[in-house]
Amino acid sequence: MLSLALVFLKIGLAAYGGGWTIVGIIKTEIVGRAWLSAEEFARLVAVAQITPGPVALNAATLVGYRLHGIVGATIATLSVVAAPLTLAIVVGNVMARASKRGGELTEALKTGTIGLISMTVWAFAPSAASSPMNLAMAALAFCVSAFTKVNPLWVILGSGVLGAAVRVLFG
Amino acid sequence: MSETQVPGSRPSFLTLFRFFFGISAVTIGGGYVMVPVIQRATEKRGWLAEDEFYDLFATAQSVPGPLALNTAVFVGRRVAGTAGFLAAFLGILIPPFISIIALATILEVIGEWPFIRGFLDGAFAVVPGLTAALAFNMIKKRRWTGLRAALTIVAAVAITLSGTWAVPVFFATVAVSWLAERRAAC
Repeated sequence: MLSLALVFLKIGLAAYGGGWTIVGIIKTEIVGRAWLSAEEFARLVAVAQITPGPVALNAATLVGYRLHGIVGATIATLSVVAAPLTLAIVVGNVMARASKRGGELTEALKTGTIGLISMTVWAFAPSAASSPMNLAMAALAFCVSAFTKVNPLWVILGSGVLGAAVRVLFG
Repeated sequence: MSETQVPGSRPSFLTLFRFFFGISAVTIGGGYVMVPVIQRATEKRGWLAEDEFYDLFATAQSVPGPLALNTAVFVGRRVAGTAGFLAAFLGILIPPFISIIALATILEVIGEWPFIRGFLDGAFAVVPGLTAALAFNMIKKRRWTGLRAALTIVAAVAITLSGTWAVPVFFATVAVSWLAERRAAC
């Protein structure tokens, strides 16, 4: 339980670059520690995406819930936001001024953030390679969200319905 | 720090709580979807002008954490001080917490139905594509120099290979790039 809190505190600290980076870090930490299997984690992410609210928070809540019930969910959720919110209160304005003035800090954070998102892409790439249909859906999702302004939610739901249809029709 | 007072209106804790609760309860798709929704809604209510909002949004991006939550607490604090901060925090946090636990409980029962299983597998299948698109957009938008490209490649490889050390390695790469950027700027 304590290690759950510590892991999510650590995740929150490096949670730059929005929800998906955080999900990538959660995957590396949780699946890396064998707390959940890659397949279990994938299903949690699927649920996190289709539930309202920030996807990273949803994923943290779900992982905590899965491991230790309601108490785990509460601990994981509060831990993952503790460091960011403390930083927001304490240094938010200082950081904003520093990043406006120099630009060097912003650029350094961008370098690290692209590193984190690369890790996320790498962490999820195997699932795209696991079947032709998964590869096709991943490629479609990439094209839609890289080159159009369509809300990714439609891609997620569309792919979900397609997955359900395939499963029901072909087993 | 100077809290600029919004002329005329200072919404109460309950008003702000209901406001953020409502947004968080119905907006699916994470920060990049929620932030514009918060922007339009705060502007419509006359709490924040658009440029003020994007100033706060920039600050929210300079600290780690879920973007939607960070932006909301900054907005809450700007329009109503500490009460606003708390209202935003609780308003954003509570709806997904409840809905996700409800959903997880239901899925324990129906999660193995072929229809549901297929749906979840399908919904997850797009994740590699979505994250790759995110990386693509970050890379496309950045102003590149030789130094930045070299540092970024090193950072990406180091972080990807570092497993559960990813967080400390992330901070190390940020520190190194910061020093390198500063030296290059001189």
